[in-house]
Amino acid sequence: MNSSVPERAGRVPSRPRPLVLGLVVLALLVAVAFAFRTPPVAQPVAFNHLNHTTDLKLDCLFCHKFVNKREHAGLPDARVCGSCHLDRAGKSAESRRVTALLTAGTPLRFNKLVRLPSHVYFSHRRHVAIGQLKCAQCHGDIATSVVPPSRPLVQIKMKVCLDCHQAKSQSLDCVACHR
Amino acid sequence: MTRWGMVIDLDRCTGCAACEVACKSENNIATVSPEQADLGRTFSWMKVMAQVNGDFPDTTMRFMPRPCMQCDNPPCVKVCPVSATYLGEEGIVGQIYARCIGCRYCANACPYTVKYFNWYAPEWPETARHALNPDVSVRPKGVIEKCTFCHHRLQRAKEEARSDGRELQEEDFQPACAEVCPTTAIVFGDLDNPRHRVHELKQDPRAMRLMEELGTEPKVYYLTPRA
Repeated sequence: MNSSVPERAGRVPSRPRPLVLGLVVLALLVAVAFAFRTPPVAQPVAFNHLNHTTDLKLDCLFCHKFVNKREHAGLPDARVCGSCHLDRAGKSAESRRVTALLTAGTPLRFNKLVRLPSHVYFSHRRHVAIGQLKCAQCHGDIATSVVPPSRPLVQIKMKVCLDCHQAKSQSLDCVACHR
Repeated sequence: MTRWGMVIDLDRCTGCAACEVACKSENNIATVSPEQADLGRTFSWMKVMAQVNGDFPDTTMRFMPRPCMQCDNPPCVKVCPVSATYLGEEGIVGQIYARCIGCRYCANACPYTVKYFNWYAPEWPETARHALNPDVSVRPKGVIEKCTFCHHRLQRAKEEARSDGRELQEEDFQPACAEVCPTTAIVFGDLDNPRHRVHELKQDPRAMRLMEELGTEPKVYYLTPRA
């Protein structure tokens, strides 16, 4: 045995491997991100956008009545659904369920899918009626979705807004969008 | 280029404080308990300051409504380390609450003491909680707030005008204080637009600005009392 090597050298704990450490940190980050992601949004009925927009050729405005007039685009209520579904049930089982619900007078309350932070002011009129943006630009392929998504199809970040404002030479003043 | 500003005629001000109330209601300004108010913890984006002159019975009272001066050379902006407060393109000194880190440098730099820090979470009586203005945020604990010339009204007015395909007029955008003033002591508009009343009023011989010697270039003018 080499006497120059101190006896306790053998007891020095081995350094944690960077790969293992990295994986642990990554797992933690994923867990935190998962915990803080937006909660899923459930809808009262499995609304089929594709069927309404493509097969029936309904305009977005038919249900989202205020998209050209107000900040909020608006969600349809039982009266809007009932204007068609009360007279006739569609082919699908879900459609027949809607008719049954409406006939029984059950109010249909759809839930907002996209919720902006409380410090953001957004007006649909400003963007759709004045700015002539297409719905899909911020909402993705919602118009062709078959089942209601539980989370927004497009993550709207400030960078998305700013890039578009820059490209279209619109106001970059913070208070134009921040409340 | 638009430069929003205000002219306050001190001869017309009766000290009714309608501007203060309108401001608090418009901008979701938190109320505080009487005990807290005694400690000076009230928020007043618009404050009517009173001064008593002379001795009884020969006393007179003067009133001075004091909003944020919306300086063209704002000392608060220079010290903000995170650009939460900044001079906007139309002259309004913006305050972005989500960006504010609560360092309070700006509150100390402001010579007009118009910046308020939220030491506590805001509180309202139960009945008032349902009457908050949805266009204005509710400031959380730990951020600075101040008068913004009701810029949310400007955004709405611009949208309205653009929707109608016309130019923005003076009457389209008025802050709550100017709108409510019963004696029209508070006049608001574009200082650089000759069609707006403030353009002429600011050139009145009685016009002055607070602490002009500091070079902050306030956009709030006062018309001093004649007597």
